[in-house]
Amino acid sequence: MGVARLDEVRAAFLEDLGQAGKDASAVEAVRVKYAGRRSGLLLDLTAALRDLPKEERRDYGRALNDLKQDIGKCLDEAREASISGAAAPQDMVDISLPGMALTRGAEHPVNLVRRKIEEIFLRMGYDVEAGPEIEDDWHNFEALNIPSDHPARDDHDTFYVTGDRLLRTHTSPVQARVMENRKPPIRIIVPGKVYRRDSDLRHSPMFHQIEGLLVDEGISFGNLKATLETFLHALFSGHGVDVRFRPSYFPFTEPSAEVDITCIFCGGSGCAVCSRSGWIEILGSGMVDPRVFERVGIDSERYTGFAFGLGLDRVAMLMYGIPDLRQLFSGDQRLTRQFA
Amino acid sequence: MKFDLEWLREYLETDADADTLAERLTHCGLLVETRDEVDSTEVWDIEVTTNRPDAMNHRGLAREAAVAVKGRLKTLQHELEETTESAQELAAVEIRDPDLCSRYVARVIRGVRLIPSPQWLQDRLERCGVRPINAIVDATNYVLLETGQPLHAFDLDRLAGRRIVVRRANAGEILETLDGLERKLETDDLVIADAERAVALAGVMGGADSEIGDTTIDVLLESAHFDALSVRRSARRFAIHTEASHRFERGADPEMAPVAADLAARLIAELTGAKVCRGQIDVCPKPWKPTDHEFGISALGRFAGLEISASEVERILAGLEFAPRLDGDRVICTPPSFRGDIERTADLYEEIIRHVGYEAIPAELPILGTPPGRRHPNWQLIDRGRDAAVRAGLAEVVTWAFIEPQVDRRLEDWPLCPGKSVSLVNPLASTQAVMRRSLVPSLLGAARETLNQGERSLALFEQGRVFSVDHEGEMHERERLALVLSGGGAGWPGVDRVGFSELKGVVENILRDTAFPDIGWRRGGAPWLEQSEGAELVDAAGRVIGVCGRLGSEEAARWGLKQDLLVAELDLDAAAAEPVLPKFRPLPRFPAITADMTIEHQLDLPYSEIEAAVWDLAGERIEKVSMEARYSGKGLPAGHVRSTLRLVYRHPDRSLTQEEVNEAQEGLRSALSGRFDVQFT
Repeated sequence: MGVARLDEVRAAFLEDLGQAGKDASAVEAVRVKYAGRRSGLLLDLTAALRDLPKEERRDYGRALNDLKQDIGKCLDEAREASISGAAAPQDMVDISLPGMALTRGAEHPVNLVRRKIEEIFLRMGYDVEAGPEIEDDWHNFEALNIPSDHPARDDHDTFYVTGDRLLRTHTSPVQARVMENRKPPIRIIVPGKVYRRDSDLRHSPMFHQIEGLLVDEGISFGNLKATLETFLHALFSGHGVDVRFRPSYFPFTEPSAEVDITCIFCGGSGCAVCSRSGWIEILGSGMVDPRVFERVGIDSERYTGFAFGLGLDRVAMLMYGIPDLRQLFSGDQRLTRQFA
Repeated sequence: MKFDLEWLREYLETDADADTLAERLTHCGLLVETRDEVDSTEVWDIEVTTNRPDAMNHRGLAREAAVAVKGRLKTLQHELEETTESAQELAAVEIRDPDLCSRYVARVIRGVRLIPSPQWLQDRLERCGVRPINAIVDATNYVLLETGQPLHAFDLDRLAGRRIVVRRANAGEILETLDGLERKLETDDLVIADAERAVALAGVMGGADSEIGDTTIDVLLESAHFDALSVRRSARRFAIHTEASHRFERGADPEMAPVAADLAARLIAELTGAKVCRGQIDVCPKPWKPTDHEFGISALGRFAGLEISASEVERILAGLEFAPRLDGDRVICTPPSFRGDIERTADLYEEIIRHVGYEAIPAELPILGTPPGRRHPNWQLIDRGRDAAVRAGLAEVVTWAFIEPQVDRRLEDWPLCPGKSVSLVNPLASTQAVMRRSLVPSLLGAARETLNQGERSLALFEQGRVFSVDHEGEMHERERLALVLSGGGAGWPGVDRVGFSELKGVVENILRDTAFPDIGWRRGGAPWLEQSEGAELVDAAGRVIGVCGRLGSEEAARWGLKQDLLVAELDLDAAAAEPVLPKFRPLPRFPAITADMTIEHQLDLPYSEIEAAVWDLAGERIEKVSMEARYSGKGLPAGHVRSTLRLVYRHPDRSLTQEEVNEAQEGLRSALSGRFDVQFT
């Protein structure tokens, strides 16, 4: 007896274990032979400690401990390796079966887009404003430099309701309302429903816009460009879009700019979505026309500002590849559930 | 609008190729939408915005193009050969209403023949979307597309008294327009009349009586300037849209009338072999007056965010014919007659900035002392409701805000009806004539459509506004959230068919997440809801803030719904503006003991009363009461039910013993029997 005996046992154990391989029952037999609680070899080796001369006990004890640990560790590993062959087939879960279908709720794509946009502008310090959907002529048109008989009213086929009220044709009246009641600096965006008397593949009598306005001293056209570029890069992050500003006309801005992004479907090389132009018109913008400032009581000598607006439905259609505007308002939960 | 590139180039001196031209036009605000190669030329469809009538013709577009590509606009030659016979002696023009017609130029052309115009001219017209008719009409259309000046050719012999009178129409006066329709005129309409009757609707359309035809020999050519608003009102009232009205409505060039008259007269003579009589008849009661504008170049630079050089400012303004004069930082200029849209400094800034090019302006974020953005409470509220519904597993839909008047009338019985309904004066369809007072009808329609598609389970909601008007005519808008469940609902585990219990669970979650104050439930909602499974939700003041239950069979039949539907609607505006922050309660340190209590009672004793009594009697010892099971039927008298309540007992400072709990249960039982007619099993 002595440390040499421990080495012999170690060698024998390793050989036995090697022969057991991945057979779980053979591994178990090896465990019983060496580490069994009733008759395992390790018990004998422990008992032998008492019979050793005092001066050998320390070395032997230490070596025995090492051996016990090694055997335990090797057995654990061997058992783990053999597990796949261990369980009886009838106890196995078919892990390829689908999980329990815990349906999640889903938000409408238009609202998903609205919140994305709100998030971007909130971070830039803009407030999110709200206003009535049944408007008066002043806020919807006059205050925005669209007097009656203005040709621009042709683009706003308007629903009228009882009395002299109308369904707002854009979210811009909220701009006018905020400017009437607040002193610059003003930084707002206004999402919401708008209505136009038009219904075909590309038009719905009800749709959604989001509007933005910044008024302060010394605001320049360069500021407008940077703000909208920042916004569009954030909104279409992942597409790496280029942004193009084109002169255009809106009665409430001067100068006005249409803003295009490179087509997110073809990357600008031209496809059916962008009518082969490589560009997609995404928003309208411009420097606030001084006449609008005068109508809402803001000093047009002291302040300048910019405004912009875009269709939420259109952005949702672009982002998610929805071809038909009216499908957004079909009330079909199967459309929404695709965006859960 | 369609343009012929070859034609455009006739007015333009430049080396720029077609691609460059198209690109630069787009960059200065004239978006070239499509380009089609046709024969030896290209047809461009260009979006000309309504404020730019001056660019709605080839010459005007060429002017823009010349500035955009740094080319030159050629001068317009309009000299012509005239006979010795004076036009003044052959016809006369009188303007009675100079407020609506500031200038009227006429020329007389003799000996015309009604022949087709040559192919090259027909081709040009057709490329621009104008149908060729005969040489005379084609010539007027050609000059219109060339200069933007609308023209009209009258058969001089058919003008009574060989006289043109420009006046407001007499009330009820009848005019048969060229499209063959009889128009009953009003005194707001401006007409061209002869000595006797109206012969044309000024600036809109000619009359059939004075139309040129096979017998026409002499032509009176009209080239006039009419008031934009007046033309617009007449054109709209009669629903006529012509090339002429399109331009007059947006503002024609008051100085173009004499030039265009010469161009058209010369062309008619060339095409038909006719002779142009000497001189124009030019009646001009209100001559156009130029206005000077002044601005600073440095102020322009600050506004643009880019320093723009004086020479660039001068080049652009000169090219646009604004006659700029520079004096140090100051620029004085005079917008030409064809630019009625230029009214103030911002308009001049725009002209310069768009020709400098938006792309040339460096993008620079505004420097702001910016507090964090804040969302309007209304948005916070409705998104809380939306989030709550999504968390409950529902899918959001968005439907149109208008409903059928018939359905709207039935909403008088809906407990959440906000007031009188708001009707549209001009709905798109009779089924979309009223602004909705409840979201439920739209959802029922959506549910029907989806079920018809073969879906079995529904769990959907909508958030939106409802509209009403009070007796003072004041409009009211309220935020609502409505939902519909059917079949297996949102696929909650263990639920095969949703019932009132699932509906109430969803509604309660939404109420809590949306921060509604304390809400009571009472029976209601009929006839929209089944009487046995309908509830109204009321707040502390007794106002109904919600409705919830199974859709009544009669209403379901009206919608053609064959499958059971559970519906609810909540008035989100009744929720708290700000949700209350939850407050932490220390976690329990000692174990709880659970004990059940089965109570037999009559059906008309509501569970809520039993639970309230339990809390009342044993509140300090228990931390939770729940309904464990409910049984009625065999072994119980009719109208009786057995409810098993599960109570959780816990003491905050020590472990309870089973004996203590048993004792408490015993005490509770006898107290409950003292209060209600109940038995224990």
